[in-house]
Amino acid sequence: MTTDSNQPPGSPAISVQDVRKRYGDRQAVDGVSLDVRRGEFFGLLGPNGAGKTTLIEIMEGLRQADSGTVRVLGHSPWPRDTALLPRMGVQTQASAFFVRQSAREHLVTVAGLYRRGPEAADRTLETVGLTEQCDVLVENLSGGQRQRLAIASALVHDPELIFLDEPTAALDPQARRDLWEVLRALKSEGRTIVYTTHHLDEAEALCDRVAILVDGRTAALDSPHRLVTAAGAPSRLLLPQGRLGVEEAAALPGVDRATVQGGSLVLETATPGKVLQAVDALTGLDGVMTRTATLEDVYLELTGAAHPGAAHPAAADPGAADTAAGHLGPQAGPHTQTEHQA
Amino acid sequence: MSAYTALTAAGYRAQVRDKATLFFTFAFPLLFLVVFGLIFSGQDVEETGRPYISYIAPGVMSWGVANAAVFGIAFTLMQWRRDDLLRLIRLTPTPLTTVLASRYVLALAVGVVQAAVFVAVAMLPGFGLTLDGRWPLVLPALVLGITAFLAIGVIVGTYANTPEAVAAIANCLMVPMAFLSGSFLPLDMMPSWLRQVSRVLPLRYLNDAATGALTGSGSLATIGTGCAVLFGFALLFGAIGLKTFRWSNRT
Repeated sequence: MTTDSNQPPGSPAISVQDVRKRYGDRQAVDGVSLDVRRGEFFGLLGPNGAGKTTLIEIMEGLRQADSGTVRVLGHSPWPRDTALLPRMGVQTQASAFFVRQSAREHLVTVAGLYRRGPEAADRTLETVGLTEQCDVLVENLSGGQRQRLAIASALVHDPELIFLDEPTAALDPQARRDLWEVLRALKSEGRTIVYTTHHLDEAEALCDRVAILVDGRTAALDSPHRLVTAAGAPSRLLLPQGRLGVEEAAALPGVDRATVQGGSLVLETATPGKVLQAVDALTGLDGVMTRTATLEDVYLELTGAAHPGAAHPAAADPGAADTAAGHLGPQAGPHTQTEHQA
Repeated sequence: MSAYTALTAAGYRAQVRDKATLFFTFAFPLLFLVVFGLIFSGQDVEETGRPYISYIAPGVMSWGVANAAVFGIAFTLMQWRRDDLLRLIRLTPTPLTTVLASRYVLALAVGVVQAAVFVAVAMLPGFGLTLDGRWPLVLPALVLGITAFLAIGVIVGTYANTPEAVAAIANCLMVPMAFLSGSFLPLDMMPSWLRQVSRVLPLRYLNDAATGALTGSGSLATIGTGCAVLFGFALLFGAIGLKTFRWSNRT
């Protein structure tokens, strides 16, 4: 990795100041300012059409901002700067392959475009777990394999700043988890990663900070933990149904709301400790689960996808949150759910 | 590895692995040679007394080489832009000129091999083309002709966004041009005003130079003029191609 000698230490990897971009009558990016620190794992979240792709393409130097300033590793990414380009890696569409080449031949060609040798391609194929498929033609790779090859194209030249666009979108759970390890390893080497995802559990597990874009503006920008804490969304206790009457439960001190959902009695509370004690005294805690607010709750509240009166959709569909939490491994970051044993 | 080597190697592999394009590039012009050879077998052109084969062979060869140059680069650029591969290249430090240089070398190699195969077949007893001693002069004409038509192909590939559009635009250009430039029918058989019209078409000059070099008809000046005009067309279309080039379909 190279370091830029004419840059002050501690300067951000990316600095975006009041950037705007308009397409026709649609303001795609509407005054975004944010810094991505060096070595940071930065998540860019938001619904489709919120301006994520445009903003990332402006950072990558593929588009010119209408106004505002962008500095990437101390340089302006626009116009095309061939001194800056080798220092960043960009995951492209999973269709951007040289035709009728094997996975290895494609990656060797991409390495060549960065003036790197074939050994860089072999090393990267191993990193993304495509060594076994290295002789398969790109046209014959599966969706997940194509996606991993597209990610490999972003890593082959050892960049210090990496842009990934929904890197885990087409991956099965195992491949997704494997990629998390790859991304964590890249971060531990001091590289800066900017990525977009719709998997909020993943953003919570991986990102140091996230920005949530809504309608071209930053609706939130902080660490997932602080966003979740600041949102003040209630915790939920899930009791096996029938153990406690709904009205009885609603009357417990500290319980804001009690409902029956998906075979569980769900208690919403801002003071889970107190309610747990009360439940323990009444029925014991066997089979009781607690669920704290997640980044997804914050996200849905900010993006306005939640229904009025049901601001915490995890409660409306407990199964979804169970599944999401189930993906998290032992080392996968904040646990959102705990099962209490009596 | 240099970007140029990497791109040329990938381009070479893509070329030899694409059987349909290989057929279209190398066998299709021969098909025309066979058809016209059968139609005009043993006949001479009334106006000049020269055998048809001495018109048709260099003419069909020039068209085949020009056609392959246009289609090859136009399809590649359209496909690379559509698949976002151009965006990938745009994000590497490799300059556009390196990308085009690797395509240029591939196109030259394809064209020269095409011409060699074609002339070898045309010299078989059934067709009976005899080469003039100044045949090596066809090489500069081929190189300049391929350059001019490659530049035209860059423009086609920049404006066409689908394979269908490439085929439509390129065929609309190349098929009428082949007839009007005397590739399929001797110009000497055409009315004089049509012969004048043909002077604005680059293929006319490639035909003239190739015919002059391979069959010895006309003067050395015809070959020289042909090469000079092709060089001019190459500069003109090359400048337009670089000026209008697009890295991405997305604005």
